[in-house]
Amino acid sequence: MRTSSGVVRGPFGWGIALKSISLAWRLLMRQRRAGDLKVVIAALAVAIAALVSVMSFADRLQRALKFQGSELLAADLVVRSPYPAKAEWTAEISRLGLQSAPTVSFRSVVLRDEHSHLAEVKAVGEGYPLRGRVRVAADISGVDAPAGGIPTAGTVWVDGQLLALLNTTVGGQVTLGARRFTIDKVITLEPDRGGEVFAIAPRLMLNIADLPSTQLIQPGSLASYRLLIAGDVVLIDAFRSWMRKRREAGVGLHDASNAQPRFRTALDKGEQFLGLATLISVLLAGVAIARAARNYAQRHLDTVALMRCVGATQGTIVTVFVTQLLVLGTVGGAIGSVIGYVAQQAFVYLLPGLVAGELPWPSLTPAGVGMAAGVITLIGFAAPIILRLRGVPPLRVLRRELGTLPNHIAAVYITAMLTLAALVLWVGRDLVLAGYVLGGSAATILLLWALSLLTLRAVSGLRRRMNVSWRFGVAALARRAGSATGQIVAIGVGVMAILLLTLVRGDILQAWRSSLPADTPNHFLINIQARQLEDITVFFRKYGWPDPQLRPIVRARLIAVNDTPVEAQDFKDAFAQRVVQRAANLSWAESLQSDNKLVAGNWWRDQERALPLVSVEKQYAEALRLSLGDTLRYRIADQEITVTVSNLRSVAWDSFRPNFFLLVPPELLREYPASYITSLHVPRSQTHQINELIKQFPNITDIDVDALLRQVRGLVDRVNLVLEYVFLFTVLAGIVVLYAAMQTTRAERRQEVAILRTLGATQSQLSLGMISEFVVMGLLAGGVGALAAMMVGYGVSEYLLGVPYRFQVGTWLGGVAAAVILVTMAGLLGTYRLWHTSPWHSLRET
Amino acid sequence: MTPEIIVQAEALTKQVSSPEGVLTILSDVSMSVRKGETVAVVGVSGSGKSTLLGLLAGLDLPTTGRVILNGTDLSRVDEDQRARVRAGRVGFVFQNFQLLPSFTAMENVMLPLELAGRGVAEQEARLGLTRVGLEDRMAHYPSQLSGGEQQRVAIARAFACRPQILFADEPTGNLDENTGGRIIQLLFDLNRERGTTLVLVTHDREIGTRCERRLELSAGRLVGALH
Ligand SMILES: Nc1ncnc2c1ncn2[C@@H]1O[C@H](COP(=O)(O)OP(=O)(O)OP(=O)(O)O)[C@@H](O)[C@H]1O
Ligand SMILES: [Mg+2]
Repeated sequence: MRTSSGVVRGPFGWGIALKSISLAWRLLMRQRRAGDLKVVIAALAVAIAALVSVMSFADRLQRALKFQGSELLAADLVVRSPYPAKAEWTAEISRLGLQSAPTVSFRSVVLRDEHSHLAEVKAVGEGYPLRGRVRVAADISGVDAPAGGIPTAGTVWVDGQLLALLNTTVGGQVTLGARRFTIDKVITLEPDRGGEVFAIAPRLMLNIADLPSTQLIQPGSLASYRLLIAGDVVLIDAFRSWMRKRREAGVGLHDASNAQPRFRTALDKGEQFLGLATLISVLLAGVAIARAARNYAQRHLDTVALMRCVGATQGTIVTVFVTQLLVLGTVGGAIGSVIGYVAQQAFVYLLPGLVAGELPWPSLTPAGVGMAAGVITLIGFAAPIILRLRGVPPLRVLRRELGTLPNHIAAVYITAMLTLAALVLWVGRDLVLAGYVLGGSAATILLLWALSLLTLRAVSGLRRRMNVSWRFGVAALARRAGSATGQIVAIGVGVMAILLLTLVRGDILQAWRSSLPADTPNHFLINIQARQLEDITVFFRKYGWPDPQLRPIVRARLIAVNDTPVEAQDFKDAFAQRVVQRAANLSWAESLQSDNKLVAGNWWRDQERALPLVSVEKQYAEALRLSLGDTLRYRIADQEITVTVSNLRSVAWDSFRPNFFLLVPPELLREYPASYITSLHVPRSQTHQINELIKQFPNITDIDVDALLRQVRGLVDRVNLVLEYVFLFTVLAGIVVLYAAMQTTRAERRQEVAILRTLGATQSQLSLGMISEFVVMGLLAGGVGALAAMMVGYGVSEYLLGVPYRFQVGTWLGGVAAAVILVTMAGLLGTYRLWHTSPWHSLRET
Repeated sequence: MTPEIIVQAEALTKQVSSPEGVLTILSDVSMSVRKGETVAVVGVSGSGKSTLLGLLAGLDLPTTGRVILNGTDLSRVDEDQRARVRAGRVGFVFQNFQLLPSFTAMENVMLPLELAGRGVAEQEARLGLTRVGLEDRMAHYPSQLSGGEQQRVAIARAFACRPQILFADEPTGNLDENTGGRIIQLLFDLNRERGTTLVLVTHDREIGTRCERRLELSAGRLVGALH
């Protein structure tokens, strides 16, 4: 006999475990009609439904937004280089099975008879654009539609501006370099043009196959080469890291995440909000589950004592209740997942056209994650409470006060926080955000706990002076101080979470609204000459436009940093290379524009108006590795000027106002030749007025950003709508928390009402007593919860979203009032039926 | 001169629906109690004694028949008015005490006085608790008291507002014989001192004999009114 003890004990141990599990099952089945078991499952289901719907919707939306970001790039990934794509790159791309299309951009003069104009030329390869669509029209006033492909050989597409400048129409002939082309279409929208709004020249697009015949690309000519790539995320990632490893000089990789600064704010904030909403749904789900588990455990204290009495071991008790927990978790989780999935699908139907194009089908991940998160949340929030049942002494059968659950179990809070932290790491990934929410919740819990204990003590000292109804309410609270603080903490965390979400959403909206008011400029006029300034102003007045804010531009070329000559080759960064290659626009300003923020150094004072200083935009400074005190030497026409970096600025590029990387004091460049730029808002129906202006001042270039602006606005609106729906769901989770919290004292309340009724209490006496209890509870939970929400909201707004936060007493009062009203209503809803039932049934039950 | 009738039951029937069908707990019970009387309701367990008591006090409604308590037909008024009929006029003592766990002994005794809007609640309650021998336990909560002590608080509460009628449902059922004996003694003493009407439910025939009149229930029917 070589049986190891393990083999002998194995089946034995398993036998006991199986018995416990089947006991758990039978006990559970016997209670299936019990009301509060349904409540546990319902609470779980709603909580998980909220979680799953928010998560899968956020997932779909995030992928859709990413897709939209890709459209703005015309690809999933762009490799930008100062030379054509190397054969190895394209080999790797086809090896991976990714799509690709090359483009080459450069500036060149376009000729038509006696007319000529500088154009931004873009040669595109077959397949362009890989994401999004180019829209074209058959002529300048024609209706536009998605283009079917790229310009055919021998033809070019141009934008309306170039057409006007060359005084020609579709079908006209233009010369580019050594080749003549026929104008075939008018470009109305180019998906990846957004980033080049300030490209100073109009667009001409041709087929890349025609490029050699123009003979414009010679060694050393300034052209920017891009390789657009699209395909499966995993493959894109593979290519990205393959490319990174090669460390090619001057090559930049761009994807949706850094595609368009103009869309970043809306997308970032939208995503952050969804992250926050998901996190808060989990938090609320957890709170509801912890409450429900506590109610469940409380109800089973006697059962456990009896089981212990008749010989059940602690192990059996644990197995029985953990099994029940898992069964409940699975049932609630499954129901919740289904509801959540249906709900997020409903979002999609509620919000047609949420994102341009098809919303990607939900990946199964959120459902899986939701289920897993549900079970984890259930275990994290409920297990410490359920495990407490193990410690219920058999003697409770005789002395009922023994083995009562403590009202605050430190382990519950600790595992809850750890669970949340783990979920955040796994699902959310936004650590800073999570830090705020977790820190805020922890602080809220501590504060609520301490404050409610103190208040209940203080109030209970006053009870002698109160009339019977108030005394009844307050005494009930004070006597139940333990469970009451538990309820208050749960409700307070709910208030905190929901108010926080409300505040943050309001802030995001506010920020969006104020960054893009109705009169946001949709046209930029550049190349205005100094001698035209007055005429332009006269023209503006003629059309009733506000006087133009003209910003000067002096074209300058960077030649040295700290007296060391610079060349494009000195930099690896593609952006830095372009900065060095291209002429810089120096502008000047008296004061800091509202969409700029000083991040280092000081703005110039009055007596420094003519000093050789420069204010540098942050990213620009980073690319060139500049810091305060560095000197930059520029060549302007045939003169040189050296300026010292006196401050660094951050710029909100999505403000749609003229902004500059480099600013100098107002009088420094007085003597240098400057051109001017201005922006204005012209209603779309009056675009012809701009055409008049261009005709009168042919050297001026109009940049129409109306389409881009509409694109940004549309995105903001849709993201906002989604936030609203997601928010609704979180509120629902909050209601479940409230319900679970109120459920805690239901049994006690039932008995109390019956006794009071027996002794002749009238309905008004009863309701006044309850209202007093609920009001005190609501005041405490709302007061602290709202305060905490404002603190966390401040942190999230100021430091994370970069939105200025305004403390308002109204917000706090609103939070408190809402909490008082909700708690009282929920409380009364839960008890009003008791006022109309005969007390006899309640009395018999105890 | 016949003393006034304080509570009168006419053809009471109480039926409840159960998984096994409709169950008749009480059938055709008619009885009346005169002011100042002490009446015992006796019968074996399950015969419907508690049910009858609940109906007499208006804590529940009969399926058919009616109860007139203090001149009010309880079936004709709503839950709130039934409570008003009890307020300050009806006292209760239950087998399982039914004290409010969140109130101290003192507050429990004050409760009916306050609900009836009597100003001297605290003074009366103090007197009452002293009378039942709990003068030094006034600030204790029910969970801090023994069963016998809790029942004494319940008795003090029952007599606090000097009720016209007291309903007691096996007040000693949860207590040992010795304690039970003393509780019953206290009940009868107070009853005599205050001249209260007493309806006492018990299955203890010995206790029953201490009442002026006994009603016996058997399977929901009144089988004999014993004098
Ligand atoms: N709500 C109810 N549903 C079903 N059956 C009930 C209900 N209320 C009472 N009964 C039944 O009615 C019968 C009478 O109950 P009651 O409590 O009045 O008896 P009792 O005479 O007071 O008994 P005991 O001396 O044991 O207290 C019992 O058989 C009981 O099971
Ligand atoms: Mg009984």
